[in-house]
Amino acid sequence: MAAPDALQQPMELDLFEGPFDLLLTLVLRDEVDLLELPLLEVVTAALGERARERWDTETAGELIVLLAAMAELKARLMLGEPIDEEPDPDTLEARERLAARLIAYAPFPRAGAWLAERARASAGPRYRRVPLAGAAPPPTPRESPAPLRDAMRALLAAPPAPSLSHLTNRRVSVPEAVARLQGALARARSVSFDALTAGADRLEEAVTLMATLELARRGDVTLSQAEPFGDIAIVGRRR
Amino acid sequence: MTELARRLEALLFLSPEPLPLVALCELAEEPPGPVQRGLAELAERHGPEGGLEVAEVAGGYALRTRADLAEVCDRLRERPPEDRITPAGLETLAVVAYLEPVSRPEISRLRGVAADSTVVSLVERGLLEEAGRPAEGGAMRYRTTRLFQERFNLRGPGDLPPLERFELSGPEAQRVRTRLVEAGHLGDGAGGDGG
Repeated sequence: MAAPDALQQPMELDLFEGPFDLLLTLVLRDEVDLLELPLLEVVTAALGERARERWDTETAGELIVLLAAMAELKARLMLGEPIDEEPDPDTLEARERLAARLIAYAPFPRAGAWLAERARASAGPRYRRVPLAGAAPPPTPRESPAPLRDAMRALLAAPPAPSLSHLTNRRVSVPEAVARLQGALARARSVSFDALTAGADRLEEAVTLMATLELARRGDVTLSQAEPFGDIAIVGRRR
Repeated sequence: MTELARRLEALLFLSPEPLPLVALCELAEEPPGPVQRGLAELAERHGPEGGLEVAEVAGGYALRTRADLAEVCDRLRERPPEDRITPAGLETLAVVAYLEPVSRPEISRLRGVAADSTVVSLVERGLLEEAGRPAEGGAMRYRTTRLFQERFNLRGPGDLPPLERFELSGPEAQRVRTRLVEAGHLGDGAGGDGG
């Protein structure tokens, strides 16, 4: 049989809301018509969406056996087959466990009914609920305030300013690169891009390329590249 | 009316909650014997012909209005003070009252349905309160409040009939078993049958 926790899990179906074992009881007592009970809903509710987290393998296996039994019973009911009257020992044990649970819990609804009756019988009297003006004095501190002050002081101290040394603020401007390129072209008719950017870092190289393209757009230079990723020859146009 | 009874009456009139005997003794600076006699004198003075009564409730003594005056008293308030408690709420209160301190998972296990929202609503209504976690760790436990005792006119936390009084008698328990057996058409399947 399934472990008690699995049997007691709450079920929320259209037809029924309550613990799983109560549903089983009601099915057994024909108070819930098995033919009207959507088994898929029962299976989904019993195993749940997170069955793997909720139940260990043994419990899940037992739940599945129980659900399979319900499915078989329903199938037989629908086919009109006679049902075997001989209960097996597992069923008897489950029934006895269920009975024990029902009997153990029975006092509490009764005690609840007693409380309800008690509340009805004593509903009349009203109490004065006006709080006294002037609250009770705060409790005298039992501990020295010094540790509290020290703790607070640590929180109030300004944290050291974070180091910004790893950040750089370098600016490379395209107009400057254009000017530099024009300077180079004034000295020589053709300039090699590789030579122009020898020793430059990636950012400078990129900006130099943009400057080159800018001059080509203006029509001041023509560019030629023999092969992909090869050197670019920048040739100034004579005016 | 004795001087002590006058003082006790004044204290009970002013106090917003029931005053335990110990508190009355301290406030009136008198030993318990005379205080109890003073309370008896006061109770006699507030007889059925008056509008007030001295009640022993929720672990102390209170001066409260008489039950038959509820209607006129409630006209003083904006809304009726005592809202209804659902059967699930009453069952949960009964579980806590008998087993306190008890945690929500324990209540849910016993009742067979999740008790979380019921417990939350009872806490909101002041009928249950947190009673700390067990030393070894675990879920928060709950107990009934003084308001609970007032609401159900109990003298103190343990002022309940013994739980045994509500247990099923032998024949009643047998009837539960018989009902299960009589209804036990599932016999063939529940354990996984061989055919």
